[in-house]
Amino acid sequence: MNRFIPITAPPEAASAARRGVAALRAFLLYAYPLLLVLAAWELAGWADLVRPLFLPRVISVAQQFWLLLREGEIIAPLLVSLYRTFLGLAIAVVAGVMAGLLMARSKWVNWFLDPLISVGFPAPKIAFVPIFTLWFGIDHVSNILLVAFNCVFPMIVATYHGAASVSRTLVWSAEAMGTSERAMLYRIVLPAALPHILSGVRVTVPVALIITFTTEMIAGGGGVGAALMFAQRFFQTPTVFVYILVMLATGLIFDRAMLVLRHRLIPWHDEIEEV
Amino acid sequence: MSAVPAARPGGTQRRWLQTPWRFLPIAIVLLIWQLAVDLDLVNRAFLPPVNAVAAALWDMTRNGELAINLAISVYRAFAGLAIGSILGIAIGLAMATSPQADGFFGPLVATTYSLPKSSLIPLFILWFGIGDVTDIVSVVLACLLPVIVSTYHGVKSVPALLVWSARAMGTPHYLVLWRVLLPGALLSIFTGIRIALGFCFVLTISAEMIAAKTGLGKLIFLYGENGAYAYMFGGILAVVIIAYLADRWLLTVMHYALRWHESLHTHHRAP
Repeated sequence: MNRFIPITAPPEAASAARRGVAALRAFLLYAYPLLLVLAAWELAGWADLVRPLFLPRVISVAQQFWLLLREGEIIAPLLVSLYRTFLGLAIAVVAGVMAGLLMARSKWVNWFLDPLISVGFPAPKIAFVPIFTLWFGIDHVSNILLVAFNCVFPMIVATYHGAASVSRTLVWSAEAMGTSERAMLYRIVLPAALPHILSGVRVTVPVALIITFTTEMIAGGGGVGAALMFAQRFFQTPTVFVYILVMLATGLIFDRAMLVLRHRLIPWHDEIEEV
Repeated sequence: MSAVPAARPGGTQRRWLQTPWRFLPIAIVLLIWQLAVDLDLVNRAFLPPVNAVAAALWDMTRNGELAINLAISVYRAFAGLAIGSILGIAIGLAMATSPQADGFFGPLVATTYSLPKSSLIPLFILWFGIGDVTDIVSVVLACLLPVIVSTYHGVKSVPALLVWSARAMGTPHYLVLWRVLLPGALLSIFTGIRIALGFCFVLTISAEMIAAKTGLGKLIFLYGENGAYAYMFGGILAVVIIAYLADRWLLTVMHYALRWHESLHTHHRAP
C-alpha cells in the first residue's frame, strides 16, 4: 500500500510562498475526495436531509471531540486499548516466531502444527470471545490473550515462510563449519527470516487493533470499543463518530509507523511480496 | 480448449494414508482435551469434555437450531462477500486503468483501509436497525478494501506487452479488460477474496454478537450467557468447521479457475 502515500516532489528554487501554494495544491489534488465526502456530509445536515440523531453535523462532532479530549475520555480509553493491543501482539510475535522457526527446522513440529494452523488460521477467532470471557473475565487478560490468539497464526506463517526460504548454501556452509543447532537458529535462520517477520508484523498490527476494539465492543471492559458501544446505547451519535474517527486515526498512524520502522530496520530489503 | 490435467505433486501409492496422517495432530489435541477433563486437571465447569461438546453439537444439529442460524449467518456473510467482491473488483479495475478513478478512490481507500470495520456496526444499527441489512453492509465494507487493493496490484502487474499486443490486434477496450487484464490479475484477485472470506465471517459473527435476534453469533452468545457451555463450545466448533470448509472450497475454486496458471503447477500450498 506504499503507493497511496502522496508523492509531493519538492519544487526546486522556488520562494517559500510559491512552495506553500504548490504544497497546498498537491494536498488538495490528493485529498479532494475526502473533502468531497466531508462537504456532502455537512451539506446533508445543513439542508436538513437527515436527522442529527443519525448523522450529526461535522461541527458538533468536532466540538464533542474537543470536549471528550479535555475530559480525558479519549486518551484514557485509547491507552487501555493500545496496552491490550501491543501486549497481545508482543506475545503473538514471540510465540509465532518461535513456532515458525521450529516448524522450518523440525519435520515433526511441522507435522504437528501444520493441520492446527490450516484449521486455526481461517477460523473467525472473534467467535471465541465467550470462551475467553468465561476463562479470564472481561478485563485485560481475556482481551490480550484473544489478540495473541488471533495474531499468532499470521506470525507463524510469515516466520515459517521466511525461515523456509533461507538459502540452502548458507545453511550448509554453517553446518559444514560445525555450527550448533541453536546458533544456526539465532545467527543464520532468524536474520534471514527477519524481512518476512517484519512483513508479518505489519500485516498483524491492524488485526490486533481490530480484535482489541471488536472484543471491547462485544464484551465491554473498558477501552475505545466499550466507550463506543456505551455512546451508541445512549444515542450520543456525535460521540459515536468521535470514537470511530479515533479508531481510524489509530489504525492509520500505526500502519505508517510500521512502514517507517521497516525502512529503518531493514533498508536493504525493500517490500518483499506483500502477503 | 482441453486443459491438460495437472499432475498432483506427491501422489504416491500411500496416498490413502496421507489425509489421516495429516490430521492426526488434531485428533491428538482433542484427546489431550478429553483426558485433561477426565483426569480433573481442569475444572469441568470451565471446559466441557469433548464428548459433551460433540453431544451438544449433535443435539443442536438434530433439533434444527444449528441449521437455521447457520443458514442465516452464512447468507449474511456470503451476500456481503459477493457484493463486496464484485464492487471491489470493479473499483480496483477502474483504479488501475484510469488515473481519474485512481485519484478519486485512492485517498479514500488509503484512509479507510486501516479502520476496523466492526466499529461501524453501532452506527449501522442506528441507521438500519438490527438485522440483515446492518450485517450485510458491514460485511460488504470489510470485504471491499482487500479486494480493491489486490485487484489494483494484480492489474498493475499484468505485463504491458500483453496489453499492447492485444491493442495492436485491434482489441476494443472492454475486451482488453475482460480478456487480458482480468485473467492476468486473477491470482491476485483470489488472494484478496480469500482475505475477504476471513473478514466476512469475523464481521458477521461480531455483528451478531453485538446486536442481533438470530444467527450463529447470537446463538453462541446466548448459550454463554445461560451457562450452557457445552452448547456454546459446540456452536463455536461449528463456526470453525464452516470457516475451514469455506476456505478449502475457495482454494478449490481458485485452483480450478487458475488451472492454466503456471504458479499453481509448481508447489503452491495454502498456509
